[in-house]
Amino acid sequence: MSKRDYALNKLFFDLQDPAKAAEYRAGRAAVLDRYALKPEVRAAVEADDVGFLAKLVNPYLLRFYFLVAGMPDDEFMRRIRTTAGAGGGRNG
Amino acid sequence: MAELAGVYAASHGPLIIRKWDSVSPAHQLALTGAFNELGRRIKAARLDALIIISPDHWVNFFIDNLPMICVGVGETHGGPNEAWMMKEFSHQSLPGHPELARHILDTALASGFEPSVSHRMILDHGFCIPLLKAGIDPLPIVPVVFNDIEPPFPSVARCYAWGEMLARAIDTMPGDLRVGVLGSGGLSHSVGEATMGLIEEEFDRECISHFERGNPAALCDFLTQRLPQVGNGASEIRNWVAAHGAAGGRGFELINYSAVPEVIVGCGFAAWTLPART
Repeated sequence: MSKRDYALNKLFFDLQDPAKAAEYRAGRAAVLDRYALKPEVRAAVEADDVGFLAKLVNPYLLRFYFLVAGMPDDEFMRRIRTTAGAGGGRNG
Repeated sequence: MAELAGVYAASHGPLIIRKWDSVSPAHQLALTGAFNELGRRIKAARLDALIIISPDHWVNFFIDNLPMICVGVGETHGGPNEAWMMKEFSHQSLPGHPELARHILDTALASGFEPSVSHRMILDHGFCIPLLKAGIDPLPIVPVVFNDIEPPFPSVARCYAWGEMLARAIDTMPGDLRVGVLGSGGLSHSVGEATMGLIEEEFDRECISHFERGNPAALCDFLTQRLPQVGNGASEIRNWVAAHGAAGGRGFELINYSAVPEVIVGCGFAAWTLPART
């Protein structure tokens, strides 16, 4: 089973809500304060560190999150391709 | 008794909707033709109800409570809640078929399956893209969610057995309903992984060949071995396997396969020829 950081997955899951997504785009800190993110995980979110986050979260939620966060598809695809092994458990 | 009147499979990649304008004319033609043919066959089958097997893309469930299999038994289901999908498919609700759903549930429980139950399920793009693109007017739907998106997954063999169970449930359902089964998703694609954008056409072709050969044990062995090695979206082929099980493992007919890089999915469409009723 893949490693999952619960708070990070919950943040990404909740941001599927358009109102929460709009709040997040207007200012990340206030939203991030509501989640018990480990310091290094929060830092990775703030730095848009795709490779770090990919190891801790469901890949579909990762993809949704960066759409919500406003990263262009091309840029996300470029970054995720450089993160060898991202996604963890694959299909097995 | 009710009758299994049609078995189908179709891809549902979101970019088919979100990025349609950037799909090449040739691929637009292939996808439109495939969806039209699927719609033509479904309409010709004059279905009273359609069982759709699809993953839940984090719309109903989360990792705090993640069913391997869930049956939607409600009188009504919620329409899709993805903003881009709602623009194209404006149904806020879709009709269910509680009697058929309940009979499926009873048959499942009597057959060694213990699925979860939902009395109000939201039907995301996985359920609704095939309906939308194939031009099917909403008919009573029994949604079945397979967990195809977060490991660990139901085994391929159990997905096949679930399909066989669906066929038995339909065969023993009182009344004269005409019921269809649609497996939604696949074929190869990769979402949010290092291989995102990669379409594994050779795998897809081998997969299609296994469906055509109609040897369920060989198909299950192939997928059990290969799914862990290909992009995560291919896990949705489990839904095709269930459709194959419902059809008795025979009669697979490919409508179209097109590897479409613009939508990052190996898009497949199929229908099963069912034996004449005796």
